[in-house]
Amino acid sequence: MVSVGATIHDPLILGDKTPSVVTKDICSSLDRGPALSWWVAITISSTMLLLGLVAVGYQVATGIGTWGLNNTVGWAFDITNFVFWVGIGHAGTLISAVLFLFRQKWRTSVNRAAEAMTIFAVICAGIFPLIHMGRPWLAHWMAPYPNTRGPLWINFRSPLVWDFFAISTYFTISFVFWYVGMIPDMATLRDRLKAGWRRSVAGFLSLGWNGSFRTWLHYETVYLLLAGLATPLVPSVHTIVSWDFATSVIPGWHTTILPPYFVAGAIFSGMSMVLSLMLIARKTMHLEDYITVKHVGAMCKILIATGGMVAMAYLTEFVTALYSNSEYEQFAFMNRALGPLCWSYWIMVGCNILSPQILWFKAARSNMLVVFVVTIFINIGMWFERFVIIVTSLHRDYLPSNWTGYAPTWIEIATLVGSFGLFLTLFLMFCRFIPVIAIAEVKGVLSHGRK
Amino acid sequence: MGESSSKTYWKSLPQRSDGVIPLPIAGDEFPEVPASRGMEFRRRDFLAAAGFALGGMAFTGCSRAPIQKAIPYLVAPEAIVPGHAVHYASTCRACPAGCGLLVKNRDGRAIKLEGNAEHPVSRGGLCAVGQASILGLYDSKRLQHPMQQGKRATWDVVDGEIMRQLDALRASGATVRVLTRPTSSPTMRRVIERFVGSFTDAKHVTYETLSSSAIHQAHERTHGQSVLPRYLFDKAEVIVGFDADFLGTWLSPVTFTAGWASGRRADATNGTFSYHAQFESRLSVTGGKADCRVPVAPSQLGAVLTQVASAVAKKSGVAFLAGDVGTNGIDASLVEDLAARLWHARGKSLVVCGSQDVNTQVVCNFINHTLGNYGATLDIAHPASQGDAGDDAIQTLLNELEAGTVDALIMDGVNPVYDLPNGAAFATAIGKVGLVVSLADRISETSSHATFICPDHHYLETWGDVSFGDGLIGFQQPVMRPLFDTRSALESLSQWTGVPKSDRALVQETWGERVSWNKAIHDGFAKVSQQAVPVGAFQVGVVTPVPVAEKVRDGQLALVLYPKVAMLDGRGAANPWLLEMPDPITKVVWDNYASLSEKTAASLGVETGDVVRVTRSEPDSKATTIELPALVQPGQHDRVVAIALGYGYGESARFADVGPEWLEKKPTLGDNGLVGTNASPLLTYRAGQLRLSGAHVSVTRTGRKHTLATTQDYHNIEIPEALALPGMIRRRPMVRETTIAAYQRDGKLPERGHAVHHEDLGDLWPDDHKYEGHHWGMAIDLTSCTGCSACVVSCQIENNVPVVGRDEVRRKRIMHWLRIDRYYSDNHGETDVLHQPVMCQHCDSAPCETVCPVLATVHGEEGLNQQAYNRCVGTRYCANNCPYKVRRFNWFEYAHDDKLANMSLNPDITVRGRGVMEKCSLCVQRIEEARIEAKKQGRAIADGDIKPACQQSCPAGAIVFGDMNDPESAVSKLIASGRHYRMLEETNVKPSVGYLGLVRNRDEIEDDTHHG
Repeated sequence: MVSVGATIHDPLILGDKTPSVVTKDICSSLDRGPALSWWVAITISSTMLLLGLVAVGYQVATGIGTWGLNNTVGWAFDITNFVFWVGIGHAGTLISAVLFLFRQKWRTSVNRAAEAMTIFAVICAGIFPLIHMGRPWLAHWMAPYPNTRGPLWINFRSPLVWDFFAISTYFTISFVFWYVGMIPDMATLRDRLKAGWRRSVAGFLSLGWNGSFRTWLHYETVYLLLAGLATPLVPSVHTIVSWDFATSVIPGWHTTILPPYFVAGAIFSGMSMVLSLMLIARKTMHLEDYITVKHVGAMCKILIATGGMVAMAYLTEFVTALYSNSEYEQFAFMNRALGPLCWSYWIMVGCNILSPQILWFKAARSNMLVVFVVTIFINIGMWFERFVIIVTSLHRDYLPSNWTGYAPTWIEIATLVGSFGLFLTLFLMFCRFIPVIAIAEVKGVLSHGRK
Repeated sequence: MGESSSKTYWKSLPQRSDGVIPLPIAGDEFPEVPASRGMEFRRRDFLAAAGFALGGMAFTGCSRAPIQKAIPYLVAPEAIVPGHAVHYASTCRACPAGCGLLVKNRDGRAIKLEGNAEHPVSRGGLCAVGQASILGLYDSKRLQHPMQQGKRATWDVVDGEIMRQLDALRASGATVRVLTRPTSSPTMRRVIERFVGSFTDAKHVTYETLSSSAIHQAHERTHGQSVLPRYLFDKAEVIVGFDADFLGTWLSPVTFTAGWASGRRADATNGTFSYHAQFESRLSVTGGKADCRVPVAPSQLGAVLTQVASAVAKKSGVAFLAGDVGTNGIDASLVEDLAARLWHARGKSLVVCGSQDVNTQVVCNFINHTLGNYGATLDIAHPASQGDAGDDAIQTLLNELEAGTVDALIMDGVNPVYDLPNGAAFATAIGKVGLVVSLADRISETSSHATFICPDHHYLETWGDVSFGDGLIGFQQPVMRPLFDTRSALESLSQWTGVPKSDRALVQETWGERVSWNKAIHDGFAKVSQQAVPVGAFQVGVVTPVPVAEKVRDGQLALVLYPKVAMLDGRGAANPWLLEMPDPITKVVWDNYASLSEKTAASLGVETGDVVRVTRSEPDSKATTIELPALVQPGQHDRVVAIALGYGYGESARFADVGPEWLEKKPTLGDNGLVGTNASPLLTYRAGQLRLSGAHVSVTRTGRKHTLATTQDYHNIEIPEALALPGMIRRRPMVRETTIAAYQRDGKLPERGHAVHHEDLGDLWPDDHKYEGHHWGMAIDLTSCTGCSACVVSCQIENNVPVVGRDEVRRKRIMHWLRIDRYYSDNHGETDVLHQPVMCQHCDSAPCETVCPVLATVHGEEGLNQQAYNRCVGTRYCANNCPYKVRRFNWFEYAHDDKLANMSLNPDITVRGRGVMEKCSLCVQRIEEARIEAKKQGRAIADGDIKPACQQSCPAGAIVFGDMNDPESAVSKLIASGRHYRMLEETNVKPSVGYLGLVRNRDEIEDDTHHG
């Protein structure tokens, strides 16, 4: 049964599904008990999480000295992880809000998971500024609230304060946007579930959704408004994160290219993380009809575009340094590429610039294994990008007497592993309890009923 | 049994009679609970018991908490005002130099040692060893009472027993020996003489590892007097050092540094800038400051000196048979030039030699004599009062001990088992002595063998004196009540002589009416008339050329043992501040090592951190071996291996738990369970002289590694060639240099070749700081800074900076607020050393201030960058954004609970907890103290009222603090000088700390701009 539209556009959802089939398909994994693969995955991820918890507990109890930092390198894994995870989150917002405003209908298959990923990534990211403090129990001092400590206030000149606002705003908006988008699906769940606590919860979360015209009208308006609110966050959050570095005096940090460079990098890394996860979900949850080769191809094209921007930024930095006539700036980049930590630079270049080039080929974009491998490379490369920016700039700055090296301790590595554990555990929970694809939205882009 | 039970016993008549109830027996006099009830507990009984218990608790709870003497003074002691510091003048006894001290006392306890600026000899400086010696006062490992046979005893018992035995020995005419270091205390000498005089066969034996005996003996030969001259460096315009580290460790470094620096004021309008040449085998602090530095092997030292002597003699026309000493690889024109300079400055030049070979010292005397320096820059008519250690005396004593002919041995301030090459033999030999009394204040390798240990006071608890030779006497007064049941060595010896007297009385008795006692104690020194020593005419006949000593065989190296700055001969070995003070040259802490030149290390296949085996095998004795890590040292002679003395000290085992405890912690102690390795077994005796250098050793790899903890990883001021763009200036402009000729011509430092003049874009927040009152600033003269690190330790003590241990330093987490950056730079194949003290630069546009999210670091109205520890949450953003990297983070809880040692903490300074940032405050507590004092006196703060701890202790006077708003202040004048520059000025952070460029007396203009 070939639809009329099919001659003009490839269908977004394959298999000519009816809305009820869609509901059944997507909810089927929730109806079933967890599969063995899920149990294996959650065991691994929660073990990683536990390891991270132990490491963080030990570090908070003993001191930041349990990390490999020193008087010269004051940040390393902590802020690298922070920027990495914030970046991961960006694809979710891009897909859900920006592509929504641009009427990119293919987003419907991936936006739910991408948004969930945003929230989990921001949770992971938010942990690091907290635990990287020497005295994390005083973290609330970062918030401007009336207090009894005299006229003590926060320093609005500090990029860390801007960061605090940026990240908390980002989390709030993303969460609300995600939840609002989920209301019709919660109603679907409520209607499908047998009476019990799960139905009560779904009922509560669906806020009395009745599917009426008025309800839909209000819902669509709110969703559009929220998309409008969330859109500026895509460039702003990572711009503000980049100011942590750009406003400093450290050669390699002190550069105006950082905001666009960071935003492009964030979308690049986020999109590759969405792809990595969606390719797994697609395979294990049998969602090939919903997340099609076409979807993957579109996201690969975004990877090529943003990867190109990132490559451009890497190159521009060198040109700027050369042009700056500042010996410190020039040295910082020579040291980045050829100094003692140059291996991290070349991992970054290899993963972020070279590996995505294969995606120019359609055959590669259509090969899920190739795409998956490339996205893993990009994830690694983007982690190293932040490591390169932070550590190689710090470890050899102005005074040669201060130059040191840096090597992580096991506590730091365990903390990084733990953050992945947290992210994966949350994602696996999400797969079990919430429809991974926005049912209501997908129904809107079905070919069914369009002929 | 049955039989006995039938018998009836009775105590009283009523008891005997039947039917009478016996009286209750004692144990059950007041039965409260009738026994018959068993376990049953009636309600009324319960209520009674509960009521009683409650009442009892209420009653005891009503009593007042015990009051522990919290009674205010009815009549307050005159000198003690809570919170107000009192300074007492005294004399430092941490080394024989005897610098003048001001001891800062707060609330009855000494907390800081400062140099006495009025003291004619030390002129206000105080070295690291002196600074740190206050910790010895609060050392919990100090003996707190006398010991007998290793057990605690009382003074009465110990005295009784010792005197009984000594009396018996006196009567029998037995052999008694007193072993001490050479002392410059007239009272101590008098007391020992009197003690020795009370026996028929008694002798006072002295020895010192860092012996200057050869100088004494050389003067005995040349001038007929065994004296150690007083060296007057401030009067010398040409200074030539031969293996004499006079700015670091030799004799009296504080005095010498002050004198040396006063002759090198580049900005003085009428003064001259001295010329300093140094011939040495290893790279010392002194060599690092020299205008011309020539590495020579120890075997060549005498020959090179002879070359110079010959050239000088030729100039003067005095006959001198140089013999064939060869050129020793030294450019003839260099020797010629040096001789010309010396001759030109005759009577205003000074040649000093640290050799322990008498013939070499004789040649040195010859040069000084020929140049007419005696009486001008060397004073032998009023020589230093340090007596001749007489290196052979200790060996004679050892022979006597081994022969078993000594009946009693009294030891004070010595540790021969540790620091003699044959220490083990000494330990065995002591066993043959009937009575061994040690006056040591701790259990050491030697004192543990003593029958009695009669611990001496710490020198801050006792009276004493020191003579400087020219009639100047330094006085030492107790600055607080003795902490423990110890007794002054003076008192102990007097007691045993049979004339018990207090130490105060003994010192007073020495000086009597010759000094005005109260004034002398107030000032810390006094001048008495001193008779000149009759010096004979110079005996030219005894001068013989010194040939090159025995050539080092192939595969062997010449050993150079040296006293290290701060550690000396092991005096600082129990002091964590000194062990954690980076070596001025190598920047290594908590270890000694075998220094090898780059070439030698490469040929041995050794890298820094490889453990090597250093073996001395002399034909007539068995091989002596020590193992320690190697360090590749630029500027060292190729045929030399240099090892610092003073490590591997038994008591350093106490530092096993220094530093924070955590999973990946690595120990502070080495494999031997000690800090470093004792190199004393490699000391040699030759011709009756104890020799630090010259022994031939072989160095082999062991294959093991021992990572040395250094505070600096990268050592050059130039960036690596591989990372420089073509045509780029490789030298970083942190330390700016020039020559005196260029500076006097240009009046400014040379411009950098590619200096980029950034457009002044102004400030982001131009109205933030107005500096209407004071604007504090500092200027540091890199020309006079020797890198001696007195300021580093002074700052650490003043500001309660914690000791973090070897592993933390290895991880580059040292806490010192003030560090001394040391760079090597290349000077036509020779190694130049550049020292630069760096502390918080107190930027007017401070990058740290803008980035702190919680306003924990803020700008003061007077230009200080202030850190509020309580507010700090520890993001470390400020440290990252500091271009100078002077901020220090408390990675762990470094402060630890040592009640005694914590008594030395400065009560004005918070002890920082874990997770907060800290850094130099420019001693804000001293600024406030001066402000309060000035306000009380109704005047403005005068220039010089405030001296931060670093400035106060600097022997060279290289650091000047003051108000930059006052054009007449010393610091403003220095800022106006042509040598002044600020580090990283181009970043527009506007530091308040500036530097005065390094000037050397060299002919050619240093190419500050040369390309890589």
